[in-house]
Amino acid sequence: MNTRQRFDDQPGFVLHTYPWRETSLIVETFTRDHGRLPLMAKGARRPGSAVRGVLMAFQPLAVSWSGKSELKTLTGAYWQGGQALLGGIGLLCGYYLNELLLRLLPREDAHPILFDRYAQTIRALAEGRQTAPLLRSFELALLQELGYGLTLDVVAGSGEIVQEGGNYYFIVERGVLEADGEMGDSATPGSALTGRALLAMAHDDFSDADTLAQAKGLMRRLLQHYLGGQQLESRRILIELQEL
Amino acid sequence: MNPLDQLIEALRILPGIGPKSAQRMAYHLLQRDRAGAARLGQSLGVALERLQHCARCNTFTEAEICERCASPQRDASLLCVVEMPADLAVMEQTHSYRGMYYVLMGRISPLDGVGPRELNLEKLIARAADGVVAEVILATNFTNEGEATAHYVGEVLRTRGVKVSRIARGVPVGGELEHTDIGTLAQAMVERRSL
Ligand SMILES: [Zn+2]
Repeated sequence: MNTRQRFDDQPGFVLHTYPWRETSLIVETFTRDHGRLPLMAKGARRPGSAVRGVLMAFQPLAVSWSGKSELKTLTGAYWQGGQALLGGIGLLCGYYLNELLLRLLPREDAHPILFDRYAQTIRALAEGRQTAPLLRSFELALLQELGYGLTLDVVAGSGEIVQEGGNYYFIVERGVLEADGEMGDSATPGSALTGRALLAMAHDDFSDADTLAQAKGLMRRLLQHYLGGQQLESRRILIELQEL
Repeated sequence: MNPLDQLIEALRILPGIGPKSAQRMAYHLLQRDRAGAARLGQSLGVALERLQHCARCNTFTEAEICERCASPQRDASLLCVVEMPADLAVMEQTHSYRGMYYVLMGRISPLDGVGPRELNLEKLIARAADGVVAEVILATNFTNEGEATAHYVGEVLRTRGVKVSRIARGVPVGGELEHTDIGTLAQAMVERRSL
């Protein structure tokens, strides 16, 4: 493990940057094949720096680095292009996705499927598509990728398939339960889910307004649980901006 | 804590200054430039005591309203919003703008926890709605944070009936396409205008 490793032109995104010392940056990247990876970009804040304008969030990049320590050194970053910059509400949603990844993804744990979903979601946000279905779909993909075993089309315990016309609720860490089952009364208020909505979510179909509303409540609850009650700054700021 | 450690600790509050740099600065001040150090200490005290945010443009000033904001030579119907005082200074160097300014002293940055409350955007909203300002020009940076700031300030002011514009971006004057950075060129294509 003592060999100095080099990786060149890896597909990645910048999630966030922090100033470091007088002229450098710590760059939190999300790479396809090496997961979330913090990199030190030496001299990146100097006026003439070649990577200064490139290390921007929401743009597909080709990233190179080397090093053996926990904090590796960025050796190059190139713009892959092909995508407009995010703007307006899409930009705020982008920050939300990045904050979720920064808080929930462990370091150096590859998630190529999630990476592709992220790239696809950012592209859709840049195209100005409706944001709510994109966010719910990404939240679900993230929780599934992190191994929280979200099964939405099978009843926990009994193994029965969820029925279109049935009524259910969801218990965190346990799964979908039938509403008329023995635990019906102790269900968390607001956690009622229709079979139709659960099946749609399981098929990643958030086109129906009712599904979307139920998914929003469910995802909020799940994320709150896995974030350990931490507040998301991007959500707080989005709410404050809408109140202006 | 002895006075030397206290000084080193105090210098560390500067952005980007770690313990080593702070130590170097402290030794330099005490050993090589004691007169300069005295001047630094004095001016820091005076600045802290005398300077405040201008009631109109938010930059630092001794008076309640700074000289630029009080000047009758400037066009009070135009209000240019920038992130930092350095942005104002460079804008002034263009000699092509004779309106007023508002300096945010930052930008919206959700992942750094900086939102409308931290930026005190209410002050800007009140300033722009003074009845004299006819157009607000958003000159925040063309970074994601600068764009988010421009978008939200723009939306809020528009709903209050203020005319809002954003400075243009694109290929630099005298710039050749071959030597223009890819991001600028890509966005210049997206934001092309008809002739
Ligand atoms: Zn002023």
